[in-house]
Amino acid sequence: MKIAYINNLPYEFESGETILNFINRVKGRKSIPTLCDAPNLDPYGACRVCSVEVALKINGKTKTVASCHTPAIENSYIYTDSVEIQNLRKNIVELVLTDHPLDCLTCEVNGNCELQEVAAQVGIRDVRYPEGKNHLDRDKDLSHPYMTSDMSKCINCYRCVRACDEVQGEFVLSIAGRGFDSKIIKGFDENFIESDCVSCGACSQACPTSAISDVFQSKSVNADEKIRTVCTYCGVGCNLEVAVKNGEILSIQAPYDAAANGGHTCLKGRYAFKFYNHEDRIKSPMIKRNGEFEKVNWDEAYDFIVDKLTQIKAENGSDAIAGISSSRTPNEENYIMQKFIRAVVGTNNIDCCARVCHSPTALGMQRAFGTGAATNSIEDLDDTDFIFVIGANPTAAHPVTGAKMKQKMMKGIKSLVVDPRKIELAKYATYHLQLRPGTNVALLNMMLYFIITENVVDQNFVDTRCEGYEAFKNEVLLLDIDDLERITGVDKNLVREASVAYANANAAMEFHGLGVTEHSQGTFTVQLIADLAMITGNIGKKGAGVNPLRGQNNVQGAADMGAQPHQGAGYLDVTNPEVNAKYNAFYGREVPNHIGYKIPEMFDAAIKGDLKALWIIGEDVVQTDPNTMKVKKAMDSVDLLVVQELFMTETAKHATVILPGASFLEKEGTFTNGERRIQRVNKVVDPLPGTKPDGQIIVDVMNRMGYDQPDYSAEGMLEEISQIVPFFKGVVWNELGDNGKQWPVLEGGEDTQLLHIDEFKRGKGNFEFFEFKESNEVETHEKDYPYIITTNRELEHYNCGAMTRRTGNVEILAEDVLLIHPNDAAANGIDDDDMVCVESPRGKVDIKAKISDELKPGILSSTFHFPEIMLNIITSDEHCSEAMCPEYKVVSCRIRKSKGKFKKIKKSTV
Amino acid sequence: MSENISELSGRKGLDNNLFDKLGKASVKNGTPDKEELQRLANDFLMGNAIIYGASSFYDFMKPENKGKKAYVCNGSACLCAGTQELVYQKLKEQYKEEEIGHMTCLGRCHENSAFHIAGKNYSGGELNNLPSIITKKHGNEDHYNVGSNGRHALTLDYEGFEKHYAILKETLSTEASNILKEVKKSNLRGRGGAGFPIGLKLESCRNEDSDTKFIICNADEGDPGAYSDRYLLEERPHSVLFGMIVAGYVTGANHGILYIRAEYPEAVTTIESAIQELKSNNLIGKNINGSGFNFDFKVIKAQGAYICGEETALINSIEGQRPEVRVRPPYPAQQGLFNKPTVVNNVETLAALHYIINNGGEAYNKLGTEKSTGTKLVCLDSFFNKPGIYEVEMGTHLSTVVNDLGGGFKKPVKAMQIGGPLGGIVPISKIDDLTIDFESFAQQGFLLGHASIVCIPEDFPMMKYIEHLFDFAQYESCGKCFPCRLGTKRGQEMATKALNENYKIDRVLLEDLLDTLEKGSLCAHGGGIPLPINNALQYFNEELKQYFS
Repeated sequence: MKIAYINNLPYEFESGETILNFINRVKGRKSIPTLCDAPNLDPYGACRVCSVEVALKINGKTKTVASCHTPAIENSYIYTDSVEIQNLRKNIVELVLTDHPLDCLTCEVNGNCELQEVAAQVGIRDVRYPEGKNHLDRDKDLSHPYMTSDMSKCINCYRCVRACDEVQGEFVLSIAGRGFDSKIIKGFDENFIESDCVSCGACSQACPTSAISDVFQSKSVNADEKIRTVCTYCGVGCNLEVAVKNGEILSIQAPYDAAANGGHTCLKGRYAFKFYNHEDRIKSPMIKRNGEFEKVNWDEAYDFIVDKLTQIKAENGSDAIAGISSSRTPNEENYIMQKFIRAVVGTNNIDCCARVCHSPTALGMQRAFGTGAATNSIEDLDDTDFIFVIGANPTAAHPVTGAKMKQKMMKGIKSLVVDPRKIELAKYATYHLQLRPGTNVALLNMMLYFIITENVVDQNFVDTRCEGYEAFKNEVLLLDIDDLERITGVDKNLVREASVAYANANAAMEFHGLGVTEHSQGTFTVQLIADLAMITGNIGKKGAGVNPLRGQNNVQGAADMGAQPHQGAGYLDVTNPEVNAKYNAFYGREVPNHIGYKIPEMFDAAIKGDLKALWIIGEDVVQTDPNTMKVKKAMDSVDLLVVQELFMTETAKHATVILPGASFLEKEGTFTNGERRIQRVNKVVDPLPGTKPDGQIIVDVMNRMGYDQPDYSAEGMLEEISQIVPFFKGVVWNELGDNGKQWPVLEGGEDTQLLHIDEFKRGKGNFEFFEFKESNEVETHEKDYPYIITTNRELEHYNCGAMTRRTGNVEILAEDVLLIHPNDAAANGIDDDDMVCVESPRGKVDIKAKISDELKPGILSSTFHFPEIMLNIITSDEHCSEAMCPEYKVVSCRIRKSKGKFKKIKKSTV
Repeated sequence: MSENISELSGRKGLDNNLFDKLGKASVKNGTPDKEELQRLANDFLMGNAIIYGASSFYDFMKPENKGKKAYVCNGSACLCAGTQELVYQKLKEQYKEEEIGHMTCLGRCHENSAFHIAGKNYSGGELNNLPSIITKKHGNEDHYNVGSNGRHALTLDYEGFEKHYAILKETLSTEASNILKEVKKSNLRGRGGAGFPIGLKLESCRNEDSDTKFIICNADEGDPGAYSDRYLLEERPHSVLFGMIVAGYVTGANHGILYIRAEYPEAVTTIESAIQELKSNNLIGKNINGSGFNFDFKVIKAQGAYICGEETALINSIEGQRPEVRVRPPYPAQQGLFNKPTVVNNVETLAALHYIINNGGEAYNKLGTEKSTGTKLVCLDSFFNKPGIYEVEMGTHLSTVVNDLGGGFKKPVKAMQIGGPLGGIVPISKIDDLTIDFESFAQQGFLLGHASIVCIPEDFPMMKYIEHLFDFAQYESCGKCFPCRLGTKRGQEMATKALNENYKIDRVLLEDLLDTLEKGSLCAHGGGIPLPINNALQYFNEELKQYFS
């Protein structure tokens, strides 16, 4: 440790530390005033207010330096508050005030303005300069549903420009002109809504004044309290700081010390919260009688449900009842739901939406490694030298992690994107292998082949850590690469180059999303990804690993908690007699030991008449599960459909009973993010009158069905969970802190950042080979339906959109569109904004076209955020052969310009 | 700076240089059109704001430059000479007002009346030939004296290509560390103003481990009154290029970039043909003369921004970023152009390497004084009887330059601004106290800088000169740091008000302002402007006191 002196007192400093960080660390934050420095931005040296004097000997000749970008020097003497420095700071701030409106009292950020604070700190009394030119007449920008700006308040600290560059990597903001007249611009000096702004709000949070703000005035709100919780919008698990006044949410900011998001979040996390008290919220239980929903009180609803369930159980057996838990709800609610279904109803018919997203990941990684969860942490991006993204579009679906990846790629970290679309990251990546949808297995086999034939195998890792390699290798070497090149449509030389680069990296980090799992060979694809990681030794070390990007906020947790038919809480095999005995003892009931229905099987059973009752929490299966007509038929086939929901979703419309649940802002629990981080969800506001936390609803019903279950509380439920889920053993509500813990959490509370360090959970890593098989969908329908449509997500909306469509996000993106290659558009006489009829063997939908070169010819892409389109009318029943995850990514279809009423829609909008 | 933009820009390679493309896109209309900016933004994966923001910085790319056809020089020398009002009036007879812009110093300080039309500079009596200039029937040569007071290193006669480059082959077969030793022995210090030893700079870049490194020749000679770099670029291009090749060899850099100011169009063409000559003689490219060393040149034409003379702003400029000054560390030798190790040196410094390599570091070290070795080019403006470029050994008396070489003044002069707009204002009374070297000027409270001399005549009000300095400083401020962006503007406003209104300057306020600029500014632009103003306040207090309360 080196020593330097602050005002003649010695302190230790870290090598390379700036003087400002050194002083802040020793003397506390803000002990040196600054206007341009920010916790999450690189030193910039613009304001110079942080200037200090440095001498090489005590009270020696000093030099004035800006502390923010000057490294501390050993044995130097830093003087922070000499008269000269005080004057310098005051004189600089005086200059700033010559071009700043002096209207503090009426300013949005009065009392919470860094300029105001610094001006007071340096002791400004008056501005001595004669009146000169200024920029106080700049117009406000109120064009955007969230972002606002008033550049008359701008002090040119560049924090917003730097945040847009260094944090989000979007380059929407810059400066135009130079010198005194230089000014912050958006795009070509446009307003927010015209620019390419992605509304992440990083600029607003960074701005020290009110020059850039948002409609919620999030920087300056006068709140009763600020409560930290976890975002509900994806598996990144951003920490949010929610400002509340009089029981109402005012605004949200991202805490700088958050491990998952470090002061950043996206427009969904930061701004899309107004759904929570939207007028559409369901505020009373309802029972459908004679086709109409009638509001009833809770007791009536509970009695109705309990009677029905008891009757069905008696008449048809427990297996005629099934539950679908929700990956949007906390661990505790998932746990209690599966417990209810297993211990109280008495069936393993419990599943959750992990089925339709990451079930192949869990299964595939369990088969290969023994654990179905991300092997590494997101912070490992700082340690990796190769990023491999397959079947994921992180900048849209996992925006904060996506932004981190983009930052790395822009700075020259080598990277590979495997995706049928030229997604944003593909533009920045070293390699983009733009394969035909549905050919992941073929492409990964090519990669494995080249890694073996180019002799870049990590033989030591393979020999010491894995098994099954020889047989696997022999199979791989038999592959016909030219054939695979034809199948995937990707140049084999490019695949070779990318494979060698991946294999040669010191630490290569893999990420995947639903573009891997939502295929007929989804689980096999995950296993091949695991093969790739093992063959190159990219497991069990920092900056490497296999890292699924979880779609919904608690997909990891829902599966961890046992909301799946083959494994109970903690992934224990329900068919294993020992496990069964353990569960029986723990729940005090006889839990069945045969595997229950997976979601698609539930639908089949319902239509067949075997399933009589279905209970769904917070999942719009009608809009988001494939083959809508079939799902609707299933919904209408059961005698009892219980739906716990916030809104009247497409699924809720089919319910027998609707129970109004509570949003994540209204309840407590824990979410487990994609890196196994169990984080506290703290209640921010009370549930709307008439609604209840979903866990409490289940507890109420359990008690009414004769099971003695204490009232729902996160603390109590977590205590119960820690006794049955092995990797939650050391999890205690009050010990989770702000940033949670990554499982496995050992007894005593120690958590785990990195899995499989010395050996795999299953012992040896398991190599397995899989041959490419064309999807039935294409095999069967290719001739009549020559196009392939693949489904994806847009940044602005979350899944079925029930929440985001009830926020300002809908002003930014108002509809699903069909991406179509210019050649295909031309061949079908389609222009931008034309309505296009997309028809599959299941049905047809009409969508507005957007011509794009993101896709190769023959490939289309769209989203299913909007019920007006119901894209899943055309998706199929095909699913992963192992995990039954639907094949959303490969749908055969044909297209034509729309006719009839849809044609008119187009005309009327012109 | 943005590390991201540096990397994204560098990815495209020097042959697809963003700044180059922006410059080309501006040729037609004086500013790039929106579609082209959009195309570049997409191509380089940067936002529209980044590309537009960068282009709007430069005099010859910003939207206001659209449709400009003629430019009047407004540099200090032409200002003091009082010739430019007539230039403007004459141009107005040929052009609409909105078609006339200005350029700050065309390097015609020796004859003034300077202006620029269609890529060429004119000065002196050329104003009388406007109609034929416009129809492109007229040449644009200017004439100035070139001389020295004895031993010289830069103004030696050019002996022809073969002889000039004979030493290069030998150099490239000598261990690079030995070449560095010679350079260090010479103790040559940077001639751009800061006086940093080039040997140390090269060594520090040499020690960096990187596949890619760059040598940049800073030929953005923006100091009004200075035209010595212009002389070297136009008259001794092979000394400059030789110096760059040697610097590349010593550091392991394979790319040499000359960033030449747009106001010197002739220098660009001369350098380009000199590079062509090197190419046809196989002295650049791959494996030069079997040495295993590769080196190539790239000429980049600047677009009108004085701040680009600051090395980090210059690096940003080449990358297509806004040429704002970067913080240090990191130093360019560690992380410069495209985030790679980079050496930026001034034209005159690089040109001196030919003498050093030819004659040995020791021989150069023997020229000049102990701490300021070698020779210095001095530029004299039209107030001298013999205006021109003079090479003097460091340590030569200023009086020798003024009286012997320059032949004394044509008209009564009360002061000289030496070393550019950030150099000191030297009253005539101090001439005998100064010698041409870094130490003498510093000790006397001045700055050697580029050693260009602009005379301030007796009848030129000193407050007007102060206003000019503040105006220049505020116009050319990059705008990044608060003291410079705001302070230079407020200084100019105070001076303008004092000159034109019944406003008296608060001396304490002005002193606070100058102190703030000097101590607080990020770079030497804002940090340097107080020096001449303080000199003026010190030596011309009598004349100036009427403006103070």
